Amino acid sequence: MPELNPIPAADEAAVALDSVCKMYKRDRQRLVVLDGINLSVSEGEFLALMGPSGSGKTTLLNLIAGIDRPTSGSVVVAGTDVTALSESALAKWRSRSVGFIFQFYNLIPVLTAVENVELPLMLTPLAKKERRERALSALRMVSLADRGRHYPKQLSGGQEQRVAIARAIVTDPRVVVADEPTGDLDAKSAEEILDLMQTLNEEFRKTIVMVTHDPRAASRAHSQKYLEKGVLLKSEQ
Amino acid sequence: MRFLPFIFKHLRKNWIRSGSTACAIALCIFLFCTLQTFVASLKGFLGQGTTRLITRHNVSLVFRLPNAYEAKIAAVPGVERVAVSNYFGGMRDLSKPADAFTNFAIEADSFLAMYPEFILAEPERKAFLEDQHGCIIGRALAETFHWKVGDTIQLESNISSYRTARPLDFVISGIYQTDQVRYPGTNESVLFFHYKYLDEATGRKARVSTFRVEIAHPRQAGVISHAIDDLFENSDTQTHTETEAQYRASLGILGGNLIVLLNGIALAVMFTILLVTANTMSMAVRERHTEIAVLKTLGFSNRLVLFLILGESVALGALGAVTGLLLGRSLINVLPNVPVIGDVVRGFPKMNVPPQIGVVGLGIGLSVGLGAGLFPSLLAYRARITELLRHV
Repeated sequence: MPELNPIPAADEAAVALDSVCKMYKRDRQRLVVLDGINLSVSEGEFLALMGPSGSGKTTLLNLIAGIDRPTSGSVVVAGTDVTALSESALAKWRSRSVGFIFQFYNLIPVLTAVENVELPLMLTPLAKKERRERALSALRMVSLADRGRHYPKQLSGGQEQRVAIARAIVTDPRVVVADEPTGDLDAKSAEEILDLMQTLNEEFRKTIVMVTHDPRAASRAHSQKYLEKGVLLKSEQ
Repeated sequence: MRFLPFIFKHLRKNWIRSGSTACAIALCIFLFCTLQTFVASLKGFLGQGTTRLITRHNVSLVFRLPNAYEAKIAAVPGVERVAVSNYFGGMRDLSKPADAFTNFAIEADSFLAMYPEFILAEPERKAFLEDQHGCIIGRALAETFHWKVGDTIQLESNISSYRTARPLDFVISGIYQTDQVRYPGTNESVLFFHYKYLDEATGRKARVSTFRVEIAHPRQAGVISHAIDDLFENSDTQTHTETEAQYRASLGILGGNLIVLLNGIALAVMFTILLVTANTMSMAVRERHTEIAVLKTLGFSNRLVLFLILGESVALGALGAVTGLLLGRSLINVLPNVPVIGDVVRGFPKMNVPPQIGVVGLGIGLSVGLGAGLFPSLLAYRARITELLRHV
């Protein structure tokens, strides 16, 4: 089995946002995308973020993943205040602590499935052989070990997304964020992806924050939170 | 090093674009190396004979000087030796201009003494000097026509005043060698024969196209040139004396400042290729917004992304440079057979891309790659992940 280790439950929240605001300036206009967000996601929790288009879900996810910075407030993920990190430290932190799953998979087309999964490991001091072994383990986890040499264009959408999931977990991050991971898939493939995410959460206690429009996808999560016009409305357990 | 396969995979992905860009760079490096090799040969060629002057008719080479001038020139202080040298324009068959080669009628004894560039074995030299119908030929010429010592050939001049009732007969007395290291650009494709033979064959009407004048010190070139020309200032046939380098540079093929022109062409080509490559790299980066965003999301630092794109561009430059160098090394020997260009290049046999020019060519290829990739890689460096993902 892969080298993914179950994370023991901890008292501290895996994700903690305190009074987070995100504002964009367009010409002379200020556009408030997130307004005073307070959010806590426990270690090993599976959270679904829902809301209409333009409500700020993806922006919130980007803040949690450390690929964007808030205008104000603090974002603590996997024990690190990401707002305090420099650009290079933030990149390093992302490579170790967060796995990102995109809606459109975003695999590198010139790389095979196993090379795509291996990509995050290129930033580690691991030797080539070990990198390859870990990548293959991750592919085995998503039941695609036999497609390692296939290029993304030779895979179906569901398979591509599974490769993307393998890429997200290959570095064994504490937190996995997913931006509408089933948004581009048919119902069957979507179910398979959700099963996989549930396995990651339940067996390996990965903390998962997933943005989705799909109530069926959201129902797989432990809890759901709704965003509207940049404000967290309510939560359901 | 671990990212090299990643870089090469990207280059291979768009192999038509990568290939054509590498070919463009290769062509640039090939042109640069070829032109610079030619320029180096030219410089070496022009730099020779600093102790030699050439006296000719002050109007044109078409007009000739009286033979009597030779003794007067030889008497000028500082002059060591004088030799007549007339371009003969001899051909084996006047209807086959492609077979043409350079041939001169010379006063052999003094000419060979002042031109150490033409190396002859002593027995061949002796045989040549003793046989009025004898001639010596360069090694390359001998190879071209499969001539050997003892062979007899006939030449007919394409200059009307040198035409005789029947072609002149020559016996090959020797095959001269050259030292291209010491005397770069020395022509190995010339035939020299005795001026006396020409003069007699034309009924003593050959006269003199040029006097080759050897002087004791290069520094005296200006003074002696003036002194020679002053001798004939009030005569019907005035002379123009100049150093051999000036004379060579004033010939048709070297008209104007050829070296500056060649360098200008090389620069223009390089700049054009730089723009082409920069455009290619910009397109490559524009197409990969999402990929750059993904790399950064996965934890690739801005600097690493910059190096990956720059590496791709430099790899293209290196690929092009190496191809261009190989092309240069292999094709430079073909140039003499290319129409028009061959006429110029043929005068510089044994041209080969010297290591210094090869290194500069390689450096230029890498620099073109670096320069072309700089702007796109900086854009990728600065781009924020969220902005890049918005392009999806």
